[in-house]
Amino acid sequence: MAALAAGKGAFREEEGTGGDAAAPQLHAPTSAPGARLSRLPLARVKALVKADPDVTLAGQEAIFILARAAELFVETIAKDAYCCAQQGKRKTLQRRDLDNAIEAVDEFAFLEGTLD
Amino acid sequence: MAERPEDLNLPNAVITRIIKEALPDGVSISKEARSAISRAASVFVLYATSCANNFAMKGKRKTLNASDVLSAMEEMEFQRFVTPLKEALEAYRREQKGKKEASEQKKKDKDKKTDSEEQDKGRDEDNDEDEERLEEEEQNEEEEVDN
Repeated sequence: MAALAAGKGAFREEEGTGGDAAAPQLHAPTSAPGARLSRLPLARVKALVKADPDVTLAGQEAIFILARAAELFVETIAKDAYCCAQQGKRKTLQRRDLDNAIEAVDEFAFLEGTLD
Repeated sequence: MAERPEDLNLPNAVITRIIKEALPDGVSISKEARSAISRAASVFVLYATSCANNFAMKGKRKTLNASDVLSAMEEMEFQRFVTPLKEALEAYRREQKGKKEASEQKKKDKDKKTDSEEQDKGRDEDNDEDEERLEEEEQNEEEEVDN
C-alpha cells in the first residue's frame, strides 16, 4: 500500500515558503536596528494594491502607509482575538477566537464572509 | 499565472512575528488562526486600497497618496491607526530624504574620482582619451525608479 506522505490535515503550511503562487521570501529581516519602519515587504503590498482594477497608480508613501496599517491591523485583531481565548482560559489562539472577534467588533465587519 | 487578489498573501513568517509580539509571552497561535489573520490582512489592504482610491478620485487624482490612505482609515473606523501612521510617515519621509542625499553624495564622490583618475592617466598615456570620455558618459546615466 502506498504510504500517504501528505500526513494529517488538508494541507501543510510551512513557514517561509509562502504557499504556491507567492514569490519566495528573498528579503531577510534587515539587521539595522530602528531603521525598520515596516516589516511587511512593500513589493507584496504593492501587488495587492495593483490587484484592484480601479487603481491606476499608487505613490510609494501610500504603499508604505498601507503596509504599516496592515501591521497595526494584525496586532489589533490578534489582541482582540486573544481576549476571546482568555475567556476560555486557553493559551492558544484558535480560529474560532478570530471568528468571535470579527463578529463582536464593528470595525471587523468587512471581514465577514471573506476568510473562508 | 492568474492570481485572485485574496490569494496574494503576505509572508507567513512576518505575520507570525507581528502576532507573537502583540500577544503576551507564552501565548501561541494555531496554524488555522494564523493563516486566517494573514488572509484578513490581505483583505484589509484590498479594502483600504479601494477606500483610498475613492478619495483619490474625489480629488481628481490618478495616484493614491498618503493622505488618501489616512482618510480611508478614518472612513473604515480605524481612527486609532491615524496617529501612529502619521508618525511612521514622517519617519519614512526622513529616511527617504536621507537616502536621497546619501546617493547624491555618492554620485558626487564618484565624479570626483573619475576626474582625478583622468588626470593620472593623462600623464602616462595620451592615446585613450576618447575611450575615457565614452565611459564617463555611461556613468552619468541616471537610474530612475518607477512606481
